Formats: sequence, C-alpha cells, structure tokens
Amino acid sequence: MEMIGHGGKEIIERILSKDAALKRLAELKAAKVKTIDVRLQLATEVIDLAYGFFSPLEGFMTKADVESVCNNITLADGKTVWSIPIIFDISEEELKKSGIKQYDEILLTYTGNPLAIMDITDVFTFDKKELAMKVYGTTEEKHPGVKRTYQYQDKFLGGKITLINPPKINAPYTPFWLTPRQMRARFKEKGWERVVNHQTRNVPHTGHEWLCKGAWLQTYAELPIEKPLVGVLVNAIIGEKRVGDYIDESIILTHDRLRTAGYFGEHNHMTTCTLWDMRYAGPREAVFHAALRTNLGCSHHMYGRDHAGVGSYYGPYDAHHMLAKVRDGLSITPTYSMNWLYCPHCGEITSEGICDHKKEWQKFSGTVVRSIIIDGVKPPRLIYRPEVFDVIMETADKYGFGSAFVTEDYLKRRTPVFTIEPLG
Amino acid sequence: MAETYPINIWINEDRFDKLQKAGLEGLTVEMLAGLKVLRVPTNDAQRDEILKIFPMAKYDSATTKSIELLPKAVKDKIFDMIVSKKSLEIMDDFIKSVKK
Repeated sequence: MEMIGHGGKEIIERILSKDAALKRLAELKAAKVKTIDVRLQLATEVIDLAYGFFSPLEGFMTKADVESVCNNITLADGKTVWSIPIIFDISEEELKKSGIKQYDEILLTYTGNPLAIMDITDVFTFDKKELAMKVYGTTEEKHPGVKRTYQYQDKFLGGKITLINPPKINAPYTPFWLTPRQMRARFKEKGWERVVNHQTRNVPHTGHEWLCKGAWLQTYAELPIEKPLVGVLVNAIIGEKRVGDYIDESIILTHDRLRTAGYFGEHNHMTTCTLWDMRYAGPREAVFHAALRTNLGCSHHMYGRDHAGVGSYYGPYDAHHMLAKVRDGLSITPTYSMNWLYCPHCGEITSEGICDHKKEWQKFSGTVVRSIIIDGVKPPRLIYRPEVFDVIMETADKYGFGSAFVTEDYLKRRTPVFTIEPLG
Repeated sequence: MAETYPINIWINEDRFDKLQKAGLEGLTVEMLAGLKVLRVPTNDAQRDEILKIFPMAKYDSATTKSIELLPKAVKDKIFDMIVSKKSLEIMDDFIKSVKK
C-alpha cells in the first residue's frame, strides 16, 4: 500500500533515531535552547504530527493556516482541505519570560522529559471568539470545543516539530496504537484493498455492530469475493474524557472482543486507536475524521446521523452536507448509514431504511443502554453480545474503579494512555 | 390519569425470582428484544425531587420519557422496597427514606 496520505502528500514521519536524538539533545542543551513543558493535549498533538496522523501537516499551524482553515476549510495553500485548527498556545507571560521568538529552535518536554524539537516560524495572536464561531458555529461556552478554545492562552506558536523521544503506550492500549505507516502495512498483510473506518467513542451494542457490517457490505460493492478484500477499521478516539463518557479501556477492548468472539474475524476487522481530544465540532470534525482516516490508509469512512456533534448545535445530516461540499478535496469515500434498530416483528436487528414495521420498532437509546449497563443486567444477545457485555463489566472492575463510565475518581487515578520516559 | 415518569428497573433472573415471590412478576413489561423491565411510576413532583436528590440522574424527555442513570444502589433500594411492600406505589416512602 502506498504511503500517500490526505491532500495527495506522502506521509512523512518526523522522528529522529535514538542516537541522533541523543546527539541533538546534547547540542540543544549545550546551546541552552529555550524549553517549554507542554500539557497533555499538546504532547498528544506533537505525537500525532510526528507520525503523520495529521499529514500533510508537519507542525503546528501558522496564522495563515489558521485563518484559511477558519475561513475556507483549507490550509493556506488554498487547496488542501482542513477543518480544525491544530494550534500551539502559550501565555504572553511565558512568551516574554522565555524570550521565545520567530525562527527560534526550542525543546518541548512533557512531564519533564524531552519530547520534541520545534522550529518556530510564526508567533501570532488570533481572536478566539472568531475562531469559535467559524469552527464550531457558536460562541457559547457550554459547547466543549468552544470552552477549550476560550481556555487557550493568548499567543500561538507555529512551526514544524521533530519527535526525539517516542511515547511508551501503556496497557491495555499497547497493541491497539499503530502509526499510519504501521496501519497501512497491516492492511497490506491482510490483503485488504478497501478499508472502511468506524469512528467510535462507544462500547458496541448490536446496532453499532450492524452499522459496521452494513458499511462493510457497502464498501465491498463490486469487488470479487473469492478472498477477503475489505476490512472494517474500528479507530477509537482516545483522549480527554468527560464524566459520564465510557472509559477508554471499555471502548477499545469491547470492540476488539467483537472480533475475538467471532462476530467479525481477523480477515475483516481490526481495532486501533488514535490519540485526539474530541472537539465535538460536528460537520467540521467529520471532515477532520476524513483526513485522519485517509492518513491511516482507509478508503471509506462511515458516517451516521449526528456525527461527532454535541447537544443541538448541528442538524443530524450537517456533516453529510459539509462532506459533500469539500468532496473534491477528499480521497476517502463516505458511506452513509441510517439507524439500526431491533424489530420484534422481524426478530432481528434491521435498518430503518429497510424494515416497514415502524410502529413496532425498538430503537437503541443511548440513555437506555447506559441504564442497562449501570444496572449490570445482561441484555439479550440480540442487543448486546454476551462476550461484549462481560468485557464491559470486567473493564469496569479492572480499570474503571467499578464503573464503565468516567467518574471523577477515574479522571484522577486512571493509568495514562502514554508516558514519555527519560531519554538516554 | 395523570402523566407518570417511570424509573426503569431492568430485570435479571435474580430480580425476577424476587418479583415472583412477591406476586409482582405480572408488572414487568418487555423492552429491547424481550429484556424485562419494571417501570416504577413517579408523578411530576416525585420526578423533580428524585432529580434534585440524585443529580447524576436524567429525565430522558426525547426518547424514553423515563428517569434514567440512577446509580445501581439506588435502584436496588427502590426494588427492595417494592418487593417488601408488594406494590409499585412506594416513591413517597422512598423519597422520605433517602431524605432522612
């Protein structure tokens, strides 16, 4: 599989070998370069940038890119579709104190350990309210993406980054974190000619399972069926959590259980994760997902109703409309899906686009499903696969301090997804 | 009849046995592919009181028209009270007991 990512550009890893990193670190220390210890969001995005998850971006955006993303949904080149600003914020005070300026080379650390080198090409300000309005379509702080935007410091640094110290991915995520190049190599080994991505932040009930199965059939289309040529990539977004979300460990291990329990198989299903703090930007997040999953090597992407939205900020099909608007700039094919539900008359999970027993439909309500999980009552296998439900309960005990949902306790005590260890 | 805002208590075998012993098994209804649920009614004053006492709970006005996301321990207590009193009309007593 070729290594051509979003925007038609080759996926480049900006990572130094250990020997080169140690040498550069010694040089930087000798030159007494300025150092910034970054918070988790920025460390995560440094890692994403370095491995090509955000290709063709090779660093944090300059003002020209941010303006173009906000106004045109493209990078500053005017051609490459991009919908969410990837920005590095810094306080005025820290900027002054550190003396960081344009064309400086600085060292980024995380939890005190060396992480990356950043070549500063731009130091700028940006109206955060304007950014919120253009990206999220609202300036209301109760929108989590807007809230995040307002919490940014007032200055921004743009420039390429080079990773000098790869992350240690902690259990149970270790086998599920693959870089874009590794994912593409895995798809090639499996012989998949098409890969359809499933975006998730849920544990899968049978409605989700059938969403994936339906998309797999859609994606297969006219391909020959003598050997498996299409795979479903479940790519879980692992990042900042809110109280009440499903815990990350439950999400990733339950999806993988669908494969190991035989509802899918090695020949057509794979679970991985991407490190990213959801912005809940609805249609713009849908476009971002298209770019991200192109970089992972996917040819298709599932989109249902209300993709990546929050509250009532976006219409159920706004994401589909925006994807249609930027379609020419994407090299991934959207597969749209109607809701899957249980019909007692049919005695099976079916699509609202297929079944006509409308008065008998039993829809999957997220709230009801959560209520069942909280009660710990095992539902019929037509609703939750027993193996999946067992994993929910096991992960609640093992990782969630008794809950499959994020609590304040979980936020304080959870094992970090990755750590940056001392370099040397 | 005044509108009610039920609390859904999902019924597994253990809970079903207890309902049978109390002669209440006929009160369950089936939702989601045969999963049994006991719908415990509340009036609007009781609903508001429950949501105030248990802020993590939510009245799902969009889909289920029920009070959801009560912690399991709370539902266990409601369930035990129903079985002990052999009646679904226990919400006033339950609210009084938790207020104590």
